[in-house]
Parts: sequence; structure tokens; C-alpha cells
Amino acid sequence: MDYEAMKDEWAQVEERDGLKLSWNTFPSSRMEASRLVVPIGALYTPLKEKTDTPLLQYEPVSCKAPCRAVLNPFCQVDMRGRLWICPFCLQRNSLPPHYKDISADVIPPELLATSTTIEYRLARPALSAPIFLFVVDTCQEEDGLKALKDSIIMSLSLLPPYALVGLITFGTTTQVHEIGYTECAKSYVFRGSKDYTSKQVQEMLGLTAPGMRLGVQPQPGRAPPPMGPAHRFLLPIQNAEFQLTNALEQLQKDPWPVANDKRALRCTGVALSVAVGLLEASFQNSGGRIMLFTGGPATEGPGMVVGPELREPIRSHHDIDRDNIKYYKKALKFYEHLAKRTAHNGHIIDIFAGCLDQVGLLEMKGLANSTGGHMILTDSFTSSMYKQSFMRIFEKDESDNLLMGFNASLEVLTTKELKVTGLIGHAVSMNKKSSSVGETECGIGNTCSWKMCGIDPSSSYGIYFEMASQTGPNTVQQGPQKGMIQFLTYYQHSSGQYHLRVTTVSRPLSGPSGDPAIAQSFDQEAAAVLMSRIAVFKAEVDDGPDVLRWVDRMLIRLCSRFAEYRKDDPSSFRLEKNFTLYPQFMFHLRRSQFLQVFNNSPDETAFYRHVLNHEDVSNSLIMIQPTLDAYRIDQEEAEAVLLDSGSIQNDTILLLDTFFHILIFHGETVAAWRKEGYQDQPEYANFNELLKKPKEDAKALIQDRFPLPRFIVCDAGGSQARFLLSKLNPSTTHTTGSYGVSQSSQTIFTDDVSLQTFMDHLMKLAVSGTG
Amino acid sequence: GVPPPGPQDPLAQQFGQMNIQSQPQVPPGVQAAPQLNQLYPSDLISQPFSVQELDLPPPPINLPPNTSVTPSPFANCPSKFVRSTLNSIPTTHSLLKKSRLPFALVMTPYTSLHDAEDPVPVCSDQVISRCRRCRSYINPFVTFLDHGHRWRCNMCNLANDVPQAFDWDAATQQSVDRWQRPELNYSVVEFVAPQEYMVRPPQALTYVFLLDVSYSAVTSGLLATSARCILESLDLIPNADRRTRLAFLAVDSSLHYFVIPTDGGEITEPKMLVVSDLDEPFLPTPDDLVVNLAECRQNIELFLNKLQSMFKDTQNGAHAMGSGLRSALRLIQATGGKITVLSATLPNIGYGKLEMREDKKVLGTSKESSLLQPANSFYKSFAVDCSKQQVSIDMFLFSSQYQDVATLSNLPRYTGGQTYFYPGWNAARSEDAIKFAKEFSSYLSAEIGLEAVLRVRATTGLRMNAFYGNFFNRSSDLCAFPAFPRDQSFVVEVAIDETIVKPHVCLQTAVLHTTCNGERRIRVMTLALPTTETLSSVYASADQLAITTYFSHKAVERSLGSGLEAARDALQSKVVEIMQTYRKELAGGNMGGGGLQLPANLRGLPVLFLGLMKNVGLRKSAQIPSDLRSAALCLLSTLPLPLLIQYVYPRFYSLHDMPDNAGVPDPTTNETVLPPPMNLSSERIVPYGLYLIDDGQTQFMWLGRDAIPALVEDVFGLADKSQVKQGKTLLPELDNEFNERVRAVVEKSRDHRARGVGSITVPPLYVVREDGEPSLRLWAQTLLVEDRADQGVSLGQWMGMLREKVVQ
Ligand SMILES: [Zn+2]
Ligand SMILES: [Zn+2]
Repeated sequence: MDYEAMKDEWAQVEERDGLKLSWNTFPSSRMEASRLVVPIGALYTPLKEKTDTPLLQYEPVSCKAPCRAVLNPFCQVDMRGRLWICPFCLQRNSLPPHYKDISADVIPPELLATSTTIEYRLARPALSAPIFLFVVDTCQEEDGLKALKDSIIMSLSLLPPYALVGLITFGTTTQVHEIGYTECAKSYVFRGSKDYTSKQVQEMLGLTAPGMRLGVQPQPGRAPPPMGPAHRFLLPIQNAEFQLTNALEQLQKDPWPVANDKRALRCTGVALSVAVGLLEASFQNSGGRIMLFTGGPATEGPGMVVGPELREPIRSHHDIDRDNIKYYKKALKFYEHLAKRTAHNGHIIDIFAGCLDQVGLLEMKGLANSTGGHMILTDSFTSSMYKQSFMRIFEKDESDNLLMGFNASLEVLTTKELKVTGLIGHAVSMNKKSSSVGETECGIGNTCSWKMCGIDPSSSYGIYFEMASQTGPNTVQQGPQKGMIQFLTYYQHSSGQYHLRVTTVSRPLSGPSGDPAIAQSFDQEAAAVLMSRIAVFKAEVDDGPDVLRWVDRMLIRLCSRFAEYRKDDPSSFRLEKNFTLYPQFMFHLRRSQFLQVFNNSPDETAFYRHVLNHEDVSNSLIMIQPTLDAYRIDQEEAEAVLLDSGSIQNDTILLLDTFFHILIFHGETVAAWRKEGYQDQPEYANFNELLKKPKEDAKALIQDRFPLPRFIVCDAGGSQARFLLSKLNPSTTHTTGSYGVSQSSQTIFTDDVSLQTFMDHLMKLAVSGTG
Repeated sequence: GVPPPGPQDPLAQQFGQMNIQSQPQVPPGVQAAPQLNQLYPSDLISQPFSVQELDLPPPPINLPPNTSVTPSPFANCPSKFVRSTLNSIPTTHSLLKKSRLPFALVMTPYTSLHDAEDPVPVCSDQVISRCRRCRSYINPFVTFLDHGHRWRCNMCNLANDVPQAFDWDAATQQSVDRWQRPELNYSVVEFVAPQEYMVRPPQALTYVFLLDVSYSAVTSGLLATSARCILESLDLIPNADRRTRLAFLAVDSSLHYFVIPTDGGEITEPKMLVVSDLDEPFLPTPDDLVVNLAECRQNIELFLNKLQSMFKDTQNGAHAMGSGLRSALRLIQATGGKITVLSATLPNIGYGKLEMREDKKVLGTSKESSLLQPANSFYKSFAVDCSKQQVSIDMFLFSSQYQDVATLSNLPRYTGGQTYFYPGWNAARSEDAIKFAKEFSSYLSAEIGLEAVLRVRATTGLRMNAFYGNFFNRSSDLCAFPAFPRDQSFVVEVAIDETIVKPHVCLQTAVLHTTCNGERRIRVMTLALPTTETLSSVYASADQLAITTYFSHKAVERSLGSGLEAARDALQSKVVEIMQTYRKELAGGNMGGGGLQLPANLRGLPVLFLGLMKNVGLRKSAQIPSDLRSAALCLLSTLPLPLLIQYVYPRFYSLHDMPDNAGVPDPTTNETVLPPPMNLSSERIVPYGLYLIDDGQTQFMWLGRDAIPALVEDVFGLADKSQVKQGKTLLPELDNEFNERVRAVVEKSRDHRARGVGSITVPPLYVVREDGEPSLRLWAQTLLVEDRADQGVSLGQWMGMLREKVVQ
């Protein structure tokens, strides 16, 4: 099969199963696998929207314990014996009685060849309706707070009427609003400076009743409300919309005075800890989101990231590097602990930041990363970037159900040749040991099961595997051999039932050592993304330079292993088609904001990395290697151009998409014409068209993007153009001169190596066999 | 029984000969020598004490003529303001010591809840002339020198310049007749203080209501009644300057703050902010917790209307009063003010948490006294903190169970507050609801002073030695009152340090305070007393009621310090000591008729001391819950003198045979005439009779076992005595003359304000049937001080005992 055909097939698999593998043929031995350099991995989007297969309304047929694999198209079924053989454990199972009519013509949907991914709606109902607990920072200017209030009030209309809602506000103190109380506005106030334990929070909110009733005998007819004490704070929206809207509308800026040389006192940590404690008390393992809206850094109490003195700046990457910051480690520890608790409880924490400065996302990142929450980093709650991103969270499917799942678990089953080594993505380990768990660890390992408190149709996870066999292919078995993986994703669907999504993957095992099928099965896009996730995972704990060296080393080793070359002759270096782009991806990864952090704030880094760990292969690739399109007056269609400084031309408009930013760049001449106003003159309609086209395309790009990217329009020489230049390959830096490049292209002032230099080095090292 | 003394009684004639008018009468032609009180010996056995003697005025203060600079009849201090135990002062310490009598002042700087009811002359021109050395205020007993340009201080003798403005009114640009100035004509005046008397601008009257919202407070109706009562009293709370501020703090296991918006805004609803973190009080918001009554009036009303329903479903039995108090202090620490605590629950959580520590078994034993002492140190030290921040605390306590009044009463004790105790109160009983509502609205209407300090200055040689009452002794001679109460008296013990050579001494009490209308004022009361070198004169001028008041305070102090037994023993030995001294030194060892002698003006001492020892606060008994005792001790150490004497020796009236003029208004004064009081002895009770026994705190209407149906019908509107509701009740208003008269007597008897004192108390009326509920009857009988009851002796036994000890 040629490369293009393979690519098509992989695309189909991705479409059907939400899955892309780095290697589509599995090596048959451990030894072989270790020589692949890039690990066997899958980038899997469990809840990828599927419209083509039906939602099965019955319970899945599972293999005996402990295997519990679910019946799938790769099972051998004995129609007459009503038996099926589990490919994972090879046990025989009888089919349940209602499968009695099964025959070659009448086969249940889960056994169809196309049902490699199928979803069941389980009889098990969710413990409670989904919960939305809004945690709102009131230390904001009036307009920001107003916009925020409006957006939350607006979101209420997007929630199902049975969803439970609650409100916590914070500033100098934290207030939990008792929206179930109808006599007057009522809220419980917590000191901003104190680290409350879960028990304290519950006691103080009166959630531990009847223990509070010192000396009072329960009175007949005065029984507590049947819904439990926490329902004073969290009510179905259909009962509480008025109260909650009222409470939101009456929200005012934190009333405590703030001196000119001070930051507002903002006890984000306490607010979150109280929110977590509230849900912990009564809603453990019921799906729910704690949605934090913060307008600035925590300056008070546990989790504070900067002191209230304005002359004390908030930490930068350099400060962290030098390890001379006051609050970082303590805050990190506080939020990590909180994240763990929240994840344990099955709840999500979303962080919405509306602030020009940092808010402490770096310290708080675990909250969203461990619980599958969202992170939205914007300059202000008045920005459309915030508003539209926020609304997008509440998107619904055709049945009017929110496109979000709660309290999910993902379990991986493998046939004996394969073992799972870990997962990288927004999840926590469930510490489940099974025969599928590998010896080594990649990402969150030593388990075959992970918990995702929040999951949505685009949530994607990198899952890594190793080969178990020391010896190679099993020669006893006949016929082509397969390695199989089954992904079982249980989750609370927003409609209130539990669902199970089953994806079963079967791939050939390679033949004897040196089987070329392995190299041919390499999906460089999936591989690049899977490697990026590992690199970023490493970067969270290791020093930046170490990670870059690791990226380089792995690339050189991959090239040494799979390129064709004569030893020590760089000019003889050749890569197969399905490897050619990979070095470029790695080149751009090295230069990306994911690994080169010093041009960004620590908060931005946390945000970028968070998004990378959420997206599928194609979105991730845009982040790693942005796309660049050129528009020219004489061309009908935009043309994809190299992400290279050479692509900057006076008479072109460029459209850059980095996923986080969409930038339209007017070349010098174009900008000059525009300033002259040619676009307004009928005779230059084509120029007007030229100006419009990239805007329309940008709009199309933004359409489905989450979070909404920042949109920049700039001219050559303008200050915003720096942003484009920073993304381009420095083919024409001041060190290399302008050889072979047209006069109009620009010189990029950077010490980065160009792609060409990078490739030269790579080839030299790869062929030397020293990698 | 023994009939009450009639007008032909020899004793009454004897009093007629005595000089007992309140104004000294100077016989014509005898100008020079001051008239000294003479000793009128009397025998207590042959001439038994009669209750009417208690209504006699104190021995007159006989000052030499022209002692005051003006001939004003008001130059010396009326006894209702300041009353000395001795109206002739021994010139030496040894004479005082020899007398065995105390030298102390009983002070009641305010004799009404409202200025208008007992106005005092005001010096408003801000010309305040004070002695440069001793800082005494100019008063009617100074002397002018140098043609009136200087005045000699009557305390320390220093000659001071008369300020120029003294005779000149700068405002009207007219000269002032010095001799018309109030401070030279009146012994009790109030100066409007200029700037230099202020550490800070006068603070606004501020009330924080600390409302118990736990289960028992809500179910007993306390919260609802309090809320309604505050609501209905909003117009009564002094607010002439429209600066009065209010705050509300509701407390169960959490602290509930209320943000009350200003009137006329978009938001009218109150906002409740709940703080459950009891460890460290903190304010949930900086604004709108303490709100201006005038500016938020409508929204305060809205809030108070909602308040009771806010907690109607509570199941919470916890009460974090201590934490609530700390928060309340925090609310007003910058300005000072009053914390009014309304509680029906023992503080059982949070700061200053208390425990049920009463054990029925220890009542009546020596261990009982520990129950009268505070259970922990929080309350006193907190009260002292409050005093420093100009915050005063009043306790309204309503529990039906043990509430630890002993501990909680520390809060008012050191802050110029008061403890009001309503044991077992329930709003479902209309008598309870009405009593509290009346008292509470009187309370709210009182024109209390703020940021007050009291100091007494006296003629050289005298020194203020000890202070008794509810305040904090900030330094050796300064008493601090964050709020100055209008329903209390104070006692100051005076020591004689040097021989006094002057014919008279002066004692000047000054109360610097901020009125509730935001004015800084000084109330000055100057008392001049003659001196004497003879013991007989000392005895002849001793004031038995003031002496009893002094020893009431001493007994409370002794009870809290050394126990009840010790307090009673001290009282007994004191009365013995006085009688011995009198017998030995002044009666020449004369055995007389019965052998137990005292001068006429001290004849009440034995029975008053017996009354003290039999008071619920002090008497030997295993039946008195310690909360009741503690509350009584509070009264014994705060009540204004007339009410204290009544509390010690209650009023007892026979109603069924009251004279025709009783129970109807006196034609001249229009005041209801009371029947003649009777001695407190059951010998006075006939089985067919109807009586009123009133100790000022509780009234008992005693219905004899043989009461005739006509009486029952007239008074209660019931055919049969057995139908009469016993216990706390209201008399029905019936359309017959006798019913009206009985009710008029009951009303008049509880009209404390007519007695020249400030008081909010409305005593509840208990109907007691002699043949009915025994516990009720026994309770009423404990007021019959002269009877033998429980573990107490009868008056006869008491006199016998005294005689034994005195005569030996
Ligand atoms: Zn199996
Ligand atoms: Zn003087």
C-alpha cells in the first residue's frame, strides 16, 4: 500500500474511532520495539462525536472477570453454540439469552466490522443532575464584573433546567450564597486568610446537620429537607434561576478598600477550597463543574501567588528558574492537593482568567489538568475571546444535550503482547493494576485505568504502550498475528445516564526482525504529537535544555534507524515519504512556546501546555507548526507557503494560524495601498477582494476553535508583526545572509538556527551513527 | 396580731419632735451655732420597729448658716442624688473607726430615664471654672475673695482667679449676674463641655443588638418579640441629632450579620452574611453593618419585619455568644456604644463557651459559692477590653434552663451595663411578653450617657477609698462607664486620712459624659456635710438606708469573694458591732426596757440587715438556683436606694380593708394613694384577706383561704375562689370600684419612676392562693422577712439573738 493510501486509511480510522497510532504495525518483540525510538502510542479522542453508529440502548456483553472485555467485531462468535471467544483472554463466554436469534444474517450492531467504536447507554443513572458551581472574583472593575455577570446569567439559559447551580463569590473574603434561602439574600462568609479543612467548610455551611443541633431533640414535622443540606446552596436551575440571577445581578465590587500601592486582596485559594468542600460533602462522584472566574492573582491566604504590595512583581520564568520566589512552591502544593481532592471527588475545575496580568495559572494548572477542566486565558471578561469561548462550553448535540461528559473513567485492555505504560492528558490515575499494565512508565503510568472528571468530544489523550514479549512472534499460532487494544470509557452523559464508549483496535504484529511493514506503518503526524506530549510532560519536571537535548537525541536516533544513507555521508541521507515531515515538526516543536518558555509568562506557558494536552492530532500539529497561507492579487485561492521568513512578500497578505493566534499580515505594498484607500475605489475591486479573503478564511478557522484564538491584523513593519516573525523559520537571519532569497524578504533577527542548518546538523549526526 | 402604729402612737410623736424636715430649719434668733442632730434613744424591744419608719427622710444635714455663697435652697445636694451614710462627718479617722459605722456615699447621678422627667440646671456658656490644684468645679460652697476676682476652693483652699467670662456673656454681649449662675445656686448642675473635654468628637449613640437565634430563642418567641419590640421602639430610641446608629447580629452556631441598605436606593432588602468561623471574629464586609437609624429607617423596619421568619425553621441549639460578642465589639470598637444581648441559651460553643455546672446537690452547701463566681476568665477580660473601647454591654437573659448568670453578669458589671433576668420566659404567656416589651422599650428610650467617667473630689483629708457598682475602675479614683446607666446607684467608700479642722466638708461627684444627642457634658453634684467631734452626733446623723445600701454592696462583694456564709456572718457581726458600740459608748451601758437600744434614726438597721440576709441573693437555702441568686446579687449591687430598700424589705399592703382614700387619686397630687404599708409578718394576714406583697421585682397578690365570694367576684370576676388562676397573671379589668382600686394600687406600687429613680422594671404579678399551689405560697412567704421560714429566723428570734450578743 502506498503512503497516500495508508494516510487515507489512517484518516478513516481517526474519523471512525477518534484514534491515531504512531505505529500501525506493532513490533513483535520488546527488542524490536525499543529500536523504534518513537514509542507505540495512540492519540485517542474517546468522545469524538459519532453520528454514523447508533447508540445502543442495552447493556454491553462483557467477558468474565477479571478480563471484562466487551464483545466487539474482532471476537470469534460461535453462532450455533451461542458462544464467543474473548480475544484478550481467550476465554469462552456464552452469549446472553436475548442473543438467541443471532445468525450470519442477523448480527447485533456491536459485532459489525464497522463497529470498532460503539456506544452503550447504560441503565445506571447518574447520582445527581450535573452541577455548575460558579466561583466569581469580585475584585474587578465594574465593567469587567458586569460583563462577567452577564455571561454567567446568559449561560443559565443554556443549561438543562434540572442542572444544579450554585454561586460562590470571593475577594477579601469568600462568600457562599445560599440561593435556596428565600427570606433575603444570604451568604456564608469565610475568612480569606485561612486554610479551611473540608470538615470545617462543611460544618460552617451547616452541612453536617443534625450534628450541629446541640441540645435539641429532632422535632416531628421539622425534618430537614429530603434533598439534604447542600441543596440549600445547589438547586435545580428551574427552581433557582430567579434567586441566582438576583444574586448575580446584585453582585458588587469587593467592598474592602484597596490602597493605591496595593493589589486587591483576593482569596482565590479559599474560594476554591470552599467550593471543593461544598461539593465534597454531598455530591461525591456526581458530575459537576466548579467554574472559577478570576480577575487577578490570589493575594491572600492559602494559594496566594503574589503579595498585596504592588511593588512586588508577580513571578516570571526567570524567577522560577532562579528559585527565588516567595509563594510559588507553597501555592503549587496547595493547588495540587486541592486538585487531587477534587479529582478524587469526581468534580471538574474550570479556570477563566480575565486579566491583563497573570492570575497564577501556573500554580493553579493542576486544578484544570487533573480534573479535565478548561483553562481560558483572556485579557478581560469584556473581551469577545472570553465571551465566545465561555459560551462554547455549553454547546449541545442534536438531542439538545450538553456536549460534556462527567466523571469518566478510561480503561485500557490489551492482548498479552502489549502493555500500557501510561497516559498523557487531563486525567488522574485510578491506580488499577491488571495484566495489561506495563513495566515502564510513560506519563501517568502503573495503571490501566484513568479518571477524567471532565471530558468532552474533543478531549484527546496520549496513551503509550510497550511490547511484552521478549522472544518475538509466537510461531505456534497460525496465520497473521494481531495485537489488540480495547478502550472502555465510562462517563456520565449530560442527559443523566451513564454511557460506555468502546473502541477496539486490532493491528498486525510484525514478522521476524527487520520487517519493513513497521517503518511503513509510521504515522509521522501522530508520532510528532505523541512525542510532543512526552516532551511537554518532561518539561514540567525537567530543565528546559535537558528536554531539548532529549528531543534532538530521539530525532537523531529515529533518523539513524529509519533513514537510508551511507555511513558518514550526509549527502546520501534520504527519508521515506512517511518520515519526511517529522524532523520539521520536531524543529518547530523545539522553537515552540511549549518548550521555549522565556518569551511568555508562566501563566501563558501553563495555558498553552494545557491546550496541547487536550487537542487531537491535527489541532496539535497547528500548535506545533503553525500554518501560513499567502494571498496575492492575481491568485484565486490562497496558497499554503512555508513557515519561513522567505514567505514575507511586499505584495502578499499572509494568514498565520498558530491555533492560539490568528494573524493577518499585510505586506508593505498591500499596506500602502490600503492606506491609500484603493479598496474603496470601484476600479480596484480586486484589491478589496484581496483584503476580504483572508478575513473570511480567518473567520472560518475561528468557527470551531476552542478557546477562541486571539485575532491580530498587522502591517509589515508594525509592532504586532513581531509576532509573525517569531514564528517563522529564520532562513534569512543576520548570521546567514540573504543568499538565494528574493530582495523583498525580511531578515529575522534571531539566534535560532534555521531549519536548513538544523537539517544539516541532523543529517550529519544521523549518518555518523553517534546519535 | 399587733395593729400597725396609728397616729396616736408614741413613737410617731417622738418623730414629730425630731427635726426631720428635709430643709434645715434655723430657729429664729439662733444664728451662730450649727444645730446638730440630737440623739433620740429608743428601745427596739419595747418599741418594735415599724415599716413606716423606712419612709422617713434621712437625718438632716445641718450646715452652719451662710455656708453656701448664695442663699439658694438648692445649694446642697438632694439625697436622691447623693446620700451619705453619715450626715455628720467625724473629724478624725479614729472617731470614725470608733463609731463602727461606715462612711460612704450612695450616688445616683441620674434619677430618671429621661432628662425631661427630672431636669437639672445646665450651664451652657462653656465657662467652666475649676480649681487649678484639685480640679474641683466651682460650686455653691466656694468663697469669693479680692472683691470677687478670686475664689477659694472649698476642697483644697487654693485661691483661683475668677474667669472674666464668668460675669460676661460673650454671645449676648451683656453682663451676667454672677449670683444667678446655676453653679453657684445649685448643687447639682450640668456643664456643657468645651472642646478640651473631648479626646475625640462626641460619638453617636450606637446599639448593637446581639440576638440569640438558636432553637430555644426562636421557639420561646424571644426573637420575634425582640424584633417587634425594637421595631415599635424605633421612635423612642434617642436620636435628636439623627446620628443614632444600629446594628444587628444574630447568633446561633454561626454569626449572622445584616447589611441594611440606605433608604431610597434600588436595593431595600437586607442581606444576611453568615460567619461560622468562630475562632477569630472578622467582619464580613466593611460597609453597612452599623447603619444610621434615620437614613435607613424604612429598610430597618423591613428587616425587623422579616427577622423572625428568617430563622423560623431553625433546629440549631448552639449559641456562640462569646464569639458574637467579640464580633459585636469589632463592629463598634472605633466608636464605642452599647451591645444589647438578648439570649435564651447558655453559650455552648465558640469563645467563652460555658457548661452546665450547676449541681442541685451543692446548693445550700459551702460549695454553692463557687457557682456564683465566673466559670472562666473570658467574660471579665472581654468586659475590660470593651470598657477600653467605650463599649458597654447589657444582658437580657431568658433561659428556662441554667444560663450561668454568674458568669455572664461580668459583662455588664465592668462596662456600666445591667443584667436583666427573665427566667423561663415565654412569649406565649402574654404576661411575659408584655412585661418584656414594656421594659425593653423603656430600656431603648433611656437617654444613656456615653464615654463617661466618674470622679469624686473631696475636702482635703478625705480620700475615696473603694468603689462599688457596675463600672471599671480605670485608676485609683476614676470609674469608667462606656455608657452611663440611668437605673443604677453606686457606692463610694470614703476614708479620713487627716484630721479635719473645718466645720464642714464637701464631696463633689463629676460625671463627664457624652449625651446621646452628641453633646459633651459634665454633671456635677456637690454635697456639703457638717463635721463633728462627738460620737453621739455621728450616730444621730447616720442614715440607716444609706448604711444598708453600703452593706448590701459589701455583702455582694463578700459573697463573690468568700461565699454566702461569710457574707451573712459579716452582716450579722456588723449589726451586733454597731449596737454594741452604741450601747457601750452612747447609751452608757443602759439596759433600758428591753435592753436592745439604737437611736431613732437607726432603728431599722436590725430588720434591714435581717432582710438582706434573707434576700434571695444571700439567704441560706438549698432551693435557690444559682442563676436566681446571681441575678439577685446583681440587683443588690446596682438598684437605686429606694428600690434596693424595697428589695430588702418589701412593701406589704392589706387590700381587702384598705382605707377609703387608698387606690384612688389624691385630690391634691392626683397620684394614687397607697394603703399604709405593713410590717412583713404573717401575723398581719387574716384568712379572709387580700394582700399585695411587692419587692419591686415581683408582686404577689395573696388571696386568703377564707376569702369571701364577693371579694373574689369583685377582684377577679369569678364566682369561686378555686377558679382564680394562680401564678403569673394580669388582673381583669372589671367594672366595679374595688377592682379599679386594687388595680390602681398594683399599678402605683410598681410605678418606680414616681419614686424618683430611673428604672425600666415592670414587676410581674403573681396571684397566690393561700390554699392553692404550695410552692407559690412558700415563695411569696419568703418575702415576709419577719417570719421564720426555710432556714431563716423570725424577727423575734433575730432580736433575741442580737440581744444576747449585744448585751452578753
Ligand atoms: Zn476476556
Ligand atoms: Zn481645689
